[in-house]
Amino acid sequence: MVIALVRTIILYLLIIAGVRLMGKRQVGELEPSELVLALIIADLAAVPMQDFGIPLISGIIPILTLLSVTMLISMLTMKSVRFRALLCGRPSIIVENGKLHQREMAKNRFTIDELMEELRMKGITDISTVKYAILETNGQLSVLPYANQKPPAAKDMGLAPEEGGLPIVIINDGRVLEHNLKTRGYDMNWLEKQLQSHGVKKAQEVYLLTVDEMDRVYFSHKEGAQ
Amino acid sequence: MKRVWIALAILASILAATLCHSVYLGHFTRDLTALLETAEAEAEAGNWDSALDLTQTARDKWDARDSYLHITLRHDVTDGIYTGFREVAELLHCQEQGEYSAANARLIAGLELLSEAEQLTLQNVL
Repeated sequence: MVIALVRTIILYLLIIAGVRLMGKRQVGELEPSELVLALIIADLAAVPMQDFGIPLISGIIPILTLLSVTMLISMLTMKSVRFRALLCGRPSIIVENGKLHQREMAKNRFTIDELMEELRMKGITDISTVKYAILETNGQLSVLPYANQKPPAAKDMGLAPEEGGLPIVIINDGRVLEHNLKTRGYDMNWLEKQLQSHGVKKAQEVYLLTVDEMDRVYFSHKEGAQ
Repeated sequence: MKRVWIALAILASILAATLCHSVYLGHFTRDLTALLETAEAEAEAGNWDSALDLTQTARDKWDARDSYLHITLRHDVTDGIYTGFREVAELLHCQEQGEYSAANARLIAGLELLSEAEQLTLQNVL
């Protein structure tokens, strides 16, 4: 049984490394080659994990090979547009100017039910309000409504709201992130003043404290900390 | 570009290691097979002690590479060879010519198949 434990840990770490190499995409956004990799790796790891009669190396070698080939393919897809199109396909225009491209839908085996579902999920019920609906290479549907159907932005309304910038976390669940504090150009004295102004003595009593580029502070007291 | 070189290096290392393994396994099993065939010839000539020594030498060689073989080959295959060596040794002790020949032939065939399964051939790939 201890063999199962050790093998599982080794293979798990290897798969984590593989998933890490694939980048920050979610499963639903995988390109075909990445999806194939994920499916095969899971199966390759499961077999030597359960069957002790199979050497661990016969699971590790295919996994390492797949990861290396995927790394090569991902570099090639970055370098060559033609190769990317060959491997990942091209986006397909499903709706153009409110009109369905039925041939394109059939080519991608994309049903009208799936299209309606995707549109509803994006808050669109009327196809005639869609300027473009594009089926991306990762299977996601991008929907671009007509300009007159888009919600107005502040700019359209002649407003100029203040730009807060990116808030940085200074205290995370009672822990002071000193690097972030310095990045914003503050020191511990500033932080102590902030804590005092919120009626808190120690950072451990704070759940979240952020500060944005306009020096606006968000403060959240830690529940049950007194 | 660094990632491409890392990926190519890993692939090249795996290819080299697996090719070395199959070549090594070929030599290793041929060596053992030669010893077992000589042992059989000795047994047929009535030199049972000499046959036992040769078989024991082959067994020692196998045992010396036990960890390597266990790591790289299916465990049921290595266990089968190990069992074969013990069977052959016992039959040599009993001086059972017919059964010894059959068991020795099984062991030699097992070793040959073990090596053949690791060779880079179209037959194995397909």
